[in-house]
Amino acid sequence: MDSTTLLAEINGNIATVGYGLAAIGPAIGVGIVVGKTIEGVARQPELAGRLQVLMYIGIAFTEALAFIGIATYFIFTN
Amino acid sequence: MSSNPILRTALVWGGVFALVLAVVAGGVGFAVDGSRGLVSGLLGTLIAAFFLGITAGSILFANRFSSSDMFVPIYFGVVMGGWILKFVLFLVAAWILREQPWVDPQILFLSLIVGVIGTLVIDCIVIARSRMPYASDVRLPEYTGTDD
Repeated sequence: MDSTTLLAEINGNIATVGYGLAAIGPAIGVGIVVGKTIEGVARQPELAGRLQVLMYIGIAFTEALAFIGIATYFIFTN
Repeated sequence: MSSNPILRTALVWGGVFALVLAVVAGGVGFAVDGSRGLVSGLLGTLIAAFFLGITAGSILFANRFSSSDMFVPIYFGVVMGGWILKFVLFLVAAWILREQPWVDPQILFLSLIVGVIGTLVIDCIVIARSRMPYASDVRLPEYTGTDD
């Protein structure tokens, strides 16, 4: 076995890397959503209820991305 | 908190949607892969509804502490803690279920994706139709002067 073949050998499933990539977006997204909600409530405490509802829908969208990312991994590795 | 009724409505309609989708996904799964498909379709819908419901549920639970001085740390701790716990549980559940002989992974995860997208649509409709007063959680400052 020459050195080129040995260096190119990778074990495991490339879909795992796909999940890692899919986790980056939701992580950044939920960080921004929660951070901005904290900022908003700090500036206008009387808007806490409204901001909570908006934060909820923001989190729902970002977590949907993560769920679909994980689910596609399991669909394509079948 | 003034957001409680909206979150509760989103949870209820999400549950109704999950029931309808369970019937459809179970039926399609049964047509495609017999009883294995039926179980997979039902399970996928159940997982989608349960894990997406945790967000609204955790906010509703955390709002019970709204009168506490530690409300902000409790609130974000419960909501974000629930979020991370949900993904760990989901990964473990997906890992275990994939290996089971009585589950068809493709039907399971396809019904899960449909459930996730459908629940999002329901949430959007509920929130778009909701009416909230602009300044809803006002707490007037208490007078603590010594001249009375």
